[in-house]
Amino acid sequence: MKPKRILMAKTGLDGHWRGPTIVARALRDAGFEVIMIGMATTAEIVAAAIDEDVDLVGLNIGGHIDVALRAVDAVQSAAPDMPIFAGGTIPPHACKQLEAKGLEVFPPGSMLTDIVDSANRLTGLSTAP
Amino acid sequence: MRPKDPQDTVQACSDIPLKSYYTAEDIPASHAERVNVAPGEAPYHRGFHPSGYRSKPWRIFQLSGFGKPEDENERIKFLLKNGETGFIMEHDRNTADHCYNVDHPEVLARREDVGLTGAVMQSVRDTAICLDGLPMDTSFGHAGGAVVQHAPFALAAYWAVAKKRGYDLSTLAGTGQSDFNLTYLGCVTKQQIPTDAGLRFNGDIIEFCTEHLPRWVPVSIAGYNGADTGLTPDQELGSLFANAVEYLDEIQLRGRIPLEVAARGCGGVSFRASIKIFEEACKMRAARLMWSDLLKERYDIKDERVANLRIHCVTAGSKMAYQQPMNNLVRGALMAVSAVLGGVQSLGVSGYDEALSIPSEHAHQMSVRIQQILMEETGLTDVTDPLGGSYYVETLTAQLVEKSWAFFEEIQTRGGYLACLDSGWLHAKAEENQHKEFMQTESGAANIVGVTMAHDDSSPFEIDGFIGTDDAFDVALERLKEVKRTRHEKGAMRALKDLERVCRGSDNIMPVMMDCLEAEATLGEVGDVYREVFGDWRTPIQC
Repeated sequence: MKPKRILMAKTGLDGHWRGPTIVARALRDAGFEVIMIGMATTAEIVAAAIDEDVDLVGLNIGGHIDVALRAVDAVQSAAPDMPIFAGGTIPPHACKQLEAKGLEVFPPGSMLTDIVDSANRLTGLSTAP
Repeated sequence: MRPKDPQDTVQACSDIPLKSYYTAEDIPASHAERVNVAPGEAPYHRGFHPSGYRSKPWRIFQLSGFGKPEDENERIKFLLKNGETGFIMEHDRNTADHCYNVDHPEVLARREDVGLTGAVMQSVRDTAICLDGLPMDTSFGHAGGAVVQHAPFALAAYWAVAKKRGYDLSTLAGTGQSDFNLTYLGCVTKQQIPTDAGLRFNGDIIEFCTEHLPRWVPVSIAGYNGADTGLTPDQELGSLFANAVEYLDEIQLRGRIPLEVAARGCGGVSFRASIKIFEEACKMRAARLMWSDLLKERYDIKDERVANLRIHCVTAGSKMAYQQPMNNLVRGALMAVSAVLGGVQSLGVSGYDEALSIPSEHAHQMSVRIQQILMEETGLTDVTDPLGGSYYVETLTAQLVEKSWAFFEEIQTRGGYLACLDSGWLHAKAEENQHKEFMQTESGAANIVGVTMAHDDSSPFEIDGFIGTDDAFDVALERLKEVKRTRHEKGAMRALKDLERVCRGSDNIMPVMMDCLEAEATLGEVGDVYREVFGDWRTPIQC
């Protein structure tokens, strides 16, 4: 079976990379194909999600939640069925805003196994527990 | 964490096996006679002054800033009022790190992010607002410019404000940073000048300070930014000194200033103080010893004042947990203890809300209070190098020194520190370590209280992250238009032309950068010159 493809992008201009890198590695180890585009604007994220024909979009969020929400809205509007999950230094109030848009959210302290489980679920490789 | 069986191997972070106890026989022969030196004697692992903290307390030095320059000014004043003994100006990452003005498309696309992590300072007018009423003449100031390409602008802005206030630059005490570990390893920006241009900038800053600001630390290598990205303590040490020799070799090659003076300037460094208390304390001791040996053996510098490595420490941000954030007050205090036991000269304690946001006012105040309690109440300052002579601590110090030199040598065989950044070799090392650290937590081999154990869903101490101000972008955009409208346009353009000419040649860029700031050239215009002349670094990682 062709591996499922995940786009990973950072919404902000902050260069901390240990979070997204470690997550990308865990996803690759679990058999996913990960396309890392790094720091990207909303327009670049939408374009990459479509051009790369991915099954899931992962957003690393380190800045203001409104920037991330704009990217989420744009992806959901361009590809209504595209699942999105997010991680990063996201305070509780911002996690709630993302969850309200249907995202699964992984703040610091999340376990990689939970992130991989989520990716499996969101790409249809497994059903909800 | 307690091993499952007492006989199981326990490892230090630096991959050194730890015994369950130590005796005199464990101390390596190479280090045995050094155990008997007193503080104030070479090779200085025991510190530089026999009276230690009795004669000079460490500097309470907290990273601070957000929003508009006046927001940052207010926070710095709050910290000084609460007992901070120096001040650090933090700049907005979006604009400062990239040398963009707020009207750059990359910033416009993320306008709400502006000011979230530091104040926006696009011209000397903004810097003057941020420094309004701050004791530049009596206090030790960090001008910002942590990222290499931003440093000349940030320093020149600080010094231009000082000159305007009538201060003699030669009397100013403070520090720059222009840190390669941050710029090219820990926090890689979207766009930045290549490493060779960065080395040239830092050489220029060192030379300029030697001539005009002898009390200023021109550049400060931050081991922190390697360590919090994943480098182990021995790698943090090895890479820091590999970085230092790049600067010193460059200065030696130029031959314009005495190497001793440059070495003195490069001897203000920073490390991460993490949670393994003894290993971290040993790291600070090892650092002083290594610097002393390095200067003597590689450069034949024996002057005691030059060998005096001054260490600033910041407690590990990555060790601060998101869950049950009040636990981080304890972590901050214990990491600070490791730094103090290691005899550092300056300290910043990360906020208890570190995993959620930049520090709230209360988190900042608590970081100062932690330091004051350690300084005033605990007796930690009574005796210099209180761990000296411990079989364990002396052994681990010596083992760390040995491992760190091995890492230093490995970097040299790969072409040196800059080459190891360009190739991504250091990034791969850091990534490998952090993967290992994560897997230990995932597998249950390492615990984090409140995260992997001792869960408490009903914690009454929930916090929600500090947000700051919401008008930083709008105000910055207005001020940018205003400075361009009201400055002497021809003067600004002339200064920028001069900057471009100097960037293309080999003269020191700092005098012309001072001209640019005084002519009110803006950050983004300076950045445009860099982008035109130097191009972009080929980032070895996709992040």
